[in-house]
Parts: sequence; C-alpha cells; structure tokens
Amino acid sequence: MAELKLAGARKSFGTIDVLHDIDLVVKDGEFVVFVGPSGCGKSTLLRVIAGLENVTSGEVHIDGERVTHLPASERGLAMVFQSYALYPHMSVRKNMAFALENMGLKPAAIEERVERAAAMLRLTDYLDRKPKALSGGQRQRVAIGRAIVRDPKIFLFDEPLSNLDAELRVATRKELAALHAKLGGTMIYVTHDQVEAMTLADRIVVLKSGRIEQIGTPLELYNHPSNTFVAGFIGSPRMNFLPAVVISDDGMLRLTVGEREVALPRAASGLAAGAAVTIGIRPEHIDVAPDTGMLTATVDLVERLGGETFIYASAPGLPQITLRQDGQSQFYRGDAVAIRFAAGHLHIFDATGASLARP
Amino acid sequence: MPDIPSAIRPERGIAIGAFSRLGQSAVLPVGVALRLLDPPMRWIQRMIGARQMAYVFLLPNFVFFGLFVFLPIGINIVFSVTGGTALFPSQRPYVGGDQFAYLFDCGSYLDPASCREDHFWRGVANTAKFIVFQVTAMVLISLVTALVLNMKIRGRGFFRAVYFFPVLLSPVVVALIWKWILQRDGLLNAAITTLGGQKILFFVDPSWAMFWAVFVSVWAHMGFYTLILLAGLQAIPADLYEAAEMDATPRWRVLIRITLPLLWPNMIVVIVLALIKGAQTFDEVFVLTGGGPGTATLMVVQYIYETAFSSQVQNFGLAAAASVVLGVVLFVLTLLQFAAARRKEV
Repeated sequence: MAELKLAGARKSFGTIDVLHDIDLVVKDGEFVVFVGPSGCGKSTLLRVIAGLENVTSGEVHIDGERVTHLPASERGLAMVFQSYALYPHMSVRKNMAFALENMGLKPAAIEERVERAAAMLRLTDYLDRKPKALSGGQRQRVAIGRAIVRDPKIFLFDEPLSNLDAELRVATRKELAALHAKLGGTMIYVTHDQVEAMTLADRIVVLKSGRIEQIGTPLELYNHPSNTFVAGFIGSPRMNFLPAVVISDDGMLRLTVGEREVALPRAASGLAAGAAVTIGIRPEHIDVAPDTGMLTATVDLVERLGGETFIYASAPGLPQITLRQDGQSQFYRGDAVAIRFAAGHLHIFDATGASLARP
Repeated sequence: MPDIPSAIRPERGIAIGAFSRLGQSAVLPVGVALRLLDPPMRWIQRMIGARQMAYVFLLPNFVFFGLFVFLPIGINIVFSVTGGTALFPSQRPYVGGDQFAYLFDCGSYLDPASCREDHFWRGVANTAKFIVFQVTAMVLISLVTALVLNMKIRGRGFFRAVYFFPVLLSPVVVALIWKWILQRDGLLNAAITTLGGQKILFFVDPSWAMFWAVFVSVWAHMGFYTLILLAGLQAIPADLYEAAEMDATPRWRVLIRITLPLLWPNMIVVIVLALIKGAQTFDEVFVLTGGGPGTATLMVVQYIYETAFSSQVQNFGLAAAASVVLGVVLFVLTLLQFAAARRKEV
C-alpha cells in the first residue's frame, strides 16, 4: 500500500501531446478510477504510473520516493491488463507464482501465497489448468490473483472488465469492490464505463484530451460537475443540455429556453442580459407536471424497462429531452407532456461550458 | 460520382478508356476459353451432379501430380526391385529385395568401410554429420538473428531484407560464389595472405570442406528459417512482455520462460524442415566440393545421382533402392512436420 503523486506529468508521442501537466495525488488505500472517452489518455496515464511509458516531463512519486525514471520492474506495482496477459503456456498456479519466483521467494512461501490468493478468488480447483481451459471470468480472476500474490504497493487495473459479458461484468465489479474492502490496498482503475467508475471509486478522475477535467467523489461529480463534459459523462442516461439566453439575473434568473420564458429562483450573480448559457438537467430531475409545467414537449420515443421508463421528447427550438420516470409510464409516442425541472437540481453552464453557481 | 460524359473530362476519359481496352484485351483469351469450356462443363455437371464436380476441378492437379510425382515414385520402386542395366522396366529382371540387401550388407553400420556398398554408407554418415551440425547451427543462428531483428533496432527492415536475400539465390549460384571466395586463390585466402597468414586449402582438408559445406548451407537458407521464427516472435502478444516487466522478470528469464516456450511450435517446424532439407542436400555441396576431398562431403543424394547417372556402369536399380530408403526417412520426417504443424494450430 502506498501513496501516489503525479506532478506536472506530460507525455508526448512525437509531436502529439497525449497527457498535459497532470497533477494528482492518490492517497494510501484509496480506490481511484480514471474515466473518460476513448483516446482521452487514461490508459497512457496508467502506463506512465506503471513505468511502461516514460513521462516526457514531470514527476512520479510513490510513497514519497521519486520513481520517474525507474523501470516498471522496480516500482513494486502490479497491473491487471485488459487482455489479462496470462502466460498461456503456464498453469494458473505457475502464472500466479511467476512473479514470486522472480522475487526469489522460497517454494513453500510461494505455495502458501498462491493457495491463499486462489482461495480468496475461488480458483483453488483450477490451479493446475492452463488459461485456455478457463472462462473469461476465471481468467480475469487469475489476472487479479497474479497481482494479489505480489502484495504490491499499488494495484493498477486497465479496463479489466471490458472483455466480460454484461452479467459477469456486474458480478466481477462487486467482487472487485469486496476485494478492495478486504485488502485495503491502493487501487487505480481505468475504465470508459461511468457506471463502473461510480460504483467502484472512492474518487473519480475525469479525463478529456489528456487533461483532468475534474476530480471528486462519485456523488460530487454527479451533483456538482465542473463543466458540461463532466456533467454529460457522469450519469446515465446523460444530462440534458438546453441552450438558453439570459433575460435578467437579479434574485430571479429569467431565461429564454426554446420558445418559452423560464424563471428560476437564485441569488443574484450578475449574468448579463442577452448572455448565452446552457441549462443542464438530469433525466431523473425532470418531473411531469400537467398543471405547472415549464415546457410542453411531444413524446418521440418511450423505453419501458419495467422498473423505470425513459421518455424522449421534443420541444420547439430545443434538442431532444430525456426524462426518467419511476415505474411504468402511460405516455405514448405523439403525446404532449408538460415538464418541470426539479428545483435545486438545475445546472447552469456559461458559454465556455464551465459550471456557474447552482440556481 | 455523377455521370459526366467523357467528352467533358477528356483526359480522364482517355485514361480510363486506354486501361479498360488493355484490361479487356488481357482477359479476352480467358473469356474465350471460359465460353468454350462452359457447354462441356454444364454437360458434365448434368451427368454427374453438382457434388461430384469438385473432383472434376481437382482432376487437372491429380493428373499433374500423378504424372510428375506418383508415377516417378512408382517407377523408382519398380527399379529398386529389378536389376540389370536396361532402362525400360519391362526389360529389367525382377530381383526382389536384392538391391536393398546389397545396400544393407555391412559388417558394422557405424563403419562404412565394412559395408559392401561403402559409398552409400559414407554418404549416410556424411549426411548425418552434416545434418547434426547444419540443423544445430541453422536453428541457433536463425533464432539469434530473429531475436535481434525483432528488437527495435535502427535499420531493422534493411537487415531483415539482407538476411533473406540469399534464400532467393539459386543453390548453384550460392555454391559458385562461395567457391570463388574459398578456393586456393580465392578472396578469403587473398585476405589471409594480406594479413600475413598462409593460404589454407579449404577443399583439400576434409574438416574444412565439411565446415564450409555446413557454413554455406546455413548462410543460404537461414533467412527462410529466420523469417519463420520472426513471424512466431511477432505473434507473441506484447502485453505478455509488459506483464513480465510488471512481474520484475529478468531479461534472461523472459527469454527462457516466456519467449522460447511460446516460440517452441515454430522452432519444431524449423527443426523438422531443416532436417528434411538437410537430408535432401545435394546441389550446393556438390557444386562447392564435388563431394570431396575423397568422399569427405559425399552426401546420400550425390551417391544416388552418381550411381545412377555418372558412374561407368549406370546402376539404376541400386540408386533406386537408395532413393526408396531416403524416401522412407523423408516420409517419416514429413509426418513429424505435419504433427508439429498440427500442434502449432492447437
């Protein structure tokens, strides 16, 4: 277990800058998830931490020790790869023992560690099988076991669930959370799946184009996204973004949203009349309000999932709006629906996409 | 693209037209042949049914193989059990296994001098010695070369090409090049004398002659085996090496515990192919040393060639019997190769 610190870490491949001045501290025992779309640099950042890529500039510290130029083999970290990277010619036992043999441990100590990890991961019956004789989920557990036996300073996970089917992914996600609770190690996890990030992380680091957009706990990011990118990335279905123009902002924020005028109570913050802003509202924070609706929209599509319903509706001059309703809604395509934004859940973003004080 | 009349885009129209005409004229004979073949093929299909048509399409190859592979094998077997000097099988008296008995009539198989047909056994011994050294050197050098060429080194593409070029040369050309280098007044001796040394008669000393026979063979063919091993190395996923790095694996242990075991199926293929090629060795060594000095580099295939075609009494029967023996050995090696290839697929 250890603390990780990145200071001004930059990574370029030729003329292409992949990471820009990353400053980050991962505390001892923390589970941090790097999340972002494909190509945002999250895997590169993990590889920089692992030592599989060198930083172009900046520094990497583990437990206060500068490891910027130490090779991966000397950093004492363990990594679970997206492809699992199990040695195909070795049995599960050999796969798990390999790193311990490199460390020069005695056979009895190796056997003891392997057996303990195998028992923890329910792999005892498969120790003498080769990886090709295992299911995807079992291979995944072997890859985790290979990391556990080493008792590393930090566990690194590079999209470890992406090769599993949906059901197994949920099950393994829960196992990983339980494992972290049990081992208490520092874990850094890369994913593009925001549900994985929300369910596993103590803190989430949202990345975009090689830059950190926001760092925070899952609910901080959900409730207080710092910009439209984070707001759109965290939460499923994604937040609705509606363009609006400020009419006045003097204790009551008045906006033109589509073809309607909307008034929102809020402390004056001096937005200039005529300023273009974006309203952000999550699907679960839009209520159907026949009598007090702010906007009237026409239902385009209804997705009925049994326990909840998603309604996709259009209003004049606005992009399609997504509503989430508990239970089984009785709306159908073509119906008019009067909607109201739940007070206290509205987000306002300025023209650059940065979040403004909540109304 | 909108349909623009060619008159509006004359240059393009001309280019397309010219290529089109060229292409049309090139495929014209094929088109004519297919049109001519169409009615009889349809008639055959009506007669035998669509399922049997596969055999009709395979027939030309069957005929080709039959005439140029299986028929000669059959004739060879007939020759091996018949005697005399006549060329036509009908004029050759049946002698059963006499030729084989003659070939295998030895006091000790480890001492060619104790055999009635000592040249055959000298060829066997030389070929065996050649195979041991050549296959060992070939596999090791190809492996090291492949490992180096798989690294991120400057000029990697250039070196990959350079090592493969000798494979493209005719064996006779290879042997002649090296003969010019190694002969008494060749390049190598010129270099040795320039450095103050004495000329070495490479083709007079039996050990040197065998050494150079092996060396030239390895030089000429290692590019091919390097390519097979390089393909195997590149098929090993990069993330296994990254996992090994994360596991703090020393480089020598990565080679021994990861690279070589994963390359083993390719190594087997290389070993078996080199064995087969080694057992068939003839042209390079024959042109380079002529089998000499004496019989120091006489190989089995050279023995067969000389027994059948270049001795005063052309003993086709004995040569055919030796060919059958060699054929059996090659057949066993080929089975090994198939087994290795199948294992690789698994």
